[in-house]
Amino acid sequence: MNRVYILGGAQTDFERNWTKEGKGMAALLKEAVADGLEAAGLTFDDVSCLNRENRIACFIGNFIAEKYVDQGHLGAFLTEVDPAFYGLPSARYEAACASGSAAIDAAATKIRAEEYDVCVVVGWELMKTVESRIGGSYLGRAAYYAKEGKGIDLPFPRLFGRLADETLKKYPELDEKRYMDALARISVLNYANAKRNPLAQTRKWFMSYDQASTRGTQTNPLVGGRLGVSDCSQVTDGAAVIVLCSQSYLKEKGFWGKPVIKGYGHRTAPLLFEKKMADNKNSPYLLPWTRQACLDAYKRAGMAVEDMDVFETHDCFTSSEYASLSAFGLTEPGKEYQAVESHLIAFDGEKPVNPSGGLIGCGHPVGASGVRMMLDLYRQINGIAGEYQVRKARNGMMLNIGGTATTNYVFIIGAEE
Amino acid sequence: MNIRTVTVIGVTGTMGANIAGIFASFGCARVYCLGRSMKKVQNTIPRIVMSVKADAIAKNLIPADFSMLEECVGKSDLIFESSKEDIRVKTQIAERVGKAMLPYAVSGTGSSGLSITELARCYPQKLRSRFFGIHMFNPPYTLPLCELTATEYSNSALKDELKEYLASVLHRTVVEVKDSPAFLGNRIGFQFINEALQYAERFKDNGGIDYIDALLGPFTGRSMPPLATSDFVGLDVHKAIVDNIYENTCDYAHRTFLLPGFAKGLAADGKLGRKSGCGLYQRIHYENGFTRDTVYDINTGFYRDVIPYVFPFADKMKQYLSEGDYQKAFEELVKNHSLEAEICLSFLLKYIIYSLYAAKEVGFSIESADDVMATGFNWCPPLAMYQALAAVADVPGLIRERLPQICREVDLTHLLAAIKPSRYDYRIYFKSGRKIR
Repeated sequence: MNRVYILGGAQTDFERNWTKEGKGMAALLKEAVADGLEAAGLTFDDVSCLNRENRIACFIGNFIAEKYVDQGHLGAFLTEVDPAFYGLPSARYEAACASGSAAIDAAATKIRAEEYDVCVVVGWELMKTVESRIGGSYLGRAAYYAKEGKGIDLPFPRLFGRLADETLKKYPELDEKRYMDALARISVLNYANAKRNPLAQTRKWFMSYDQASTRGTQTNPLVGGRLGVSDCSQVTDGAAVIVLCSQSYLKEKGFWGKPVIKGYGHRTAPLLFEKKMADNKNSPYLLPWTRQACLDAYKRAGMAVEDMDVFETHDCFTSSEYASLSAFGLTEPGKEYQAVESHLIAFDGEKPVNPSGGLIGCGHPVGASGVRMMLDLYRQINGIAGEYQVRKARNGMMLNIGGTATTNYVFIIGAEE
Repeated sequence: MNIRTVTVIGVTGTMGANIAGIFASFGCARVYCLGRSMKKVQNTIPRIVMSVKADAIAKNLIPADFSMLEECVGKSDLIFESSKEDIRVKTQIAERVGKAMLPYAVSGTGSSGLSITELARCYPQKLRSRFFGIHMFNPPYTLPLCELTATEYSNSALKDELKEYLASVLHRTVVEVKDSPAFLGNRIGFQFINEALQYAERFKDNGGIDYIDALLGPFTGRSMPPLATSDFVGLDVHKAIVDNIYENTCDYAHRTFLLPGFAKGLAADGKLGRKSGCGLYQRIHYENGFTRDTVYDINTGFYRDVIPYVFPFADKMKQYLSEGDYQKAFEELVKNHSLEAEICLSFLLKYIIYSLYAAKEVGFSIESADDVMATGFNWCPPLAMYQALAAVADVPGLIRERLPQICREVDLTHLLAAIKPSRYDYRIYFKSGRKIR
């Protein structure tokens, strides 16, 4: 089977509010695709040439543009970016907040199967077109909407608040204060990391342990059960692009030293939150399918957690990052607080998690997040992450979830041995 | 630099309050919040908290009044004076601070343009080395620019330490500037804004204020049109800045700093802008919740409804920008020869030239002009503006063609030799102003 390499990519500045700029999805995609191709060393002429030979395809990750910008048929929309995309195979992939990973998965599969040599993956979402409560209701479609979202104010913060409750219920020996403290520290860590990322949404924002650990105030109101605004990722506009390619294309162009996708995992847990929780009763893990996706990725890569140097995880809420720490294998299940307290996951720790700032710090344009994670791992492994570069990043792992950890996508990226 | 305790003097003003918030949050410092009356200071505390959206800093804020100045200053590692922009007021405060401050403390003024050297002389000789200009922009939480001014007395190692503290602890974009009237950001920004005001007077028969704003709006690389910006800042502040520059500098753009007669009149009548209810613009609120935007008509002296001007070149530019076709937008600007398009382009070209000129005179590098305009004004910075136009035109040729008068007064070749790629992305600053949904 063909190996899948990452040629490069780009993301938009997640601080931008495209609605305020008076720009729509055409503008967003034109900028992101042009920047992504340029960073990968491709021109629109290269795209045309590859297309004439039917060697290139595009994969669009987006959750719910039908609601946010009244637009479907997103694969075809790339033809609005540049005539180079006329005739080029392109389709949209959707798995809620894991849409970006679903697009990567499809793209990587086509290269692995030796059907295309170059795959352009574009993840995007414009979320600031509507006020946050309406947007929150749109996002409710990532759950079982009729049962868990409809008519409920901000369904997702509530569901991830319940995940926090379930964590405490599953691990009765876990002290509540210790747990909430770990969640506050996870928030602070993501905000602090975002300060080093010049494209992070919150790079100018203030967050401190005092602020994050004092929930229920005017500036840190509770948004879902015991979780405050500080535990919550952002409403973000943005796009991320990565270009994947085959070994033969790499050789043809004389590129070298490009990171490779070493393994992946993809598992789907029960959609309904209650069923998901009932399903974990025979597992030591709160999210057994998330854990399984990590195990699958390790197995496919022939690697273990010890081999990983950096992680990008899905901190849509602090409670999801917390659960992901044991799923990665960084701690025993139920002991995730240890990774926080020991600074294991800190920027300068042994196993840094979210040096980019993650979804809380860097931002979460939902359909873009999976692509953005892979782009950040690519940057880390290539040593081009600038101020947020971590030490000795040879291999990295990402977890991108959709819904309440319903869709679980894991990828391992690393330098070629 | 270890700053644990700070005194902010003049905390009830907008800048004083916002800066106290910056020290208490990012700086994690205990902040003595000093104002004329204890009650006013106490009422300001919630505003400080909201300026950084963090209740957690409330415990770091200690209200104090002027009678406690010496006591607070005597306990502080850093003293920040943010009082009225009046040399007599600032002199008196500097003298009191100089007598009370600890020998190892650092003192700074937030003055937006008075002589830092003159204020340094109010300090005892041995403390002058510890005094700096620390000029931030409003609101500092979203505009991170900080202009740092040293004087002939300044301790250079201490300046470097302070710069590092402002950049890495307070997360400011620190730009070192010379002790020159209004420093760099306001020098460039108010050259543009005041000349726009002069053009409003010159083109008063075409509509005046709203006419000029309509052709220099967000589609030209800024969030807010220039005269709306003046209205937001206040004509009193605008006047103080341009008068200071006009009286104390002399460059090729000297006459563009003269405040037009009608604006002097408005300022004298207390019609300062948004903060006083009316100025260049007036928003009328009706009981039923409706609002009506009106503008001062220079010809009649009355407020009238803002005119929704439609200029074909601007309309096309906005359309292109909304779809991300930047080059087409700039091509339209360069190729259109209507009066409005020519005024618009001439302003953008003059902005580039004056920025290059001012950066040499007031800054220490050409990038400093980019930093001040991007992070202090949220305008497309000059090097990025050059890059945007250079994608569709020969900019030096365009300048020679459109601005022959200025070309006779400056050494254009020398100025343009400093041009380099910008660190800022011009696309972010050009906004269509269109509703997209």
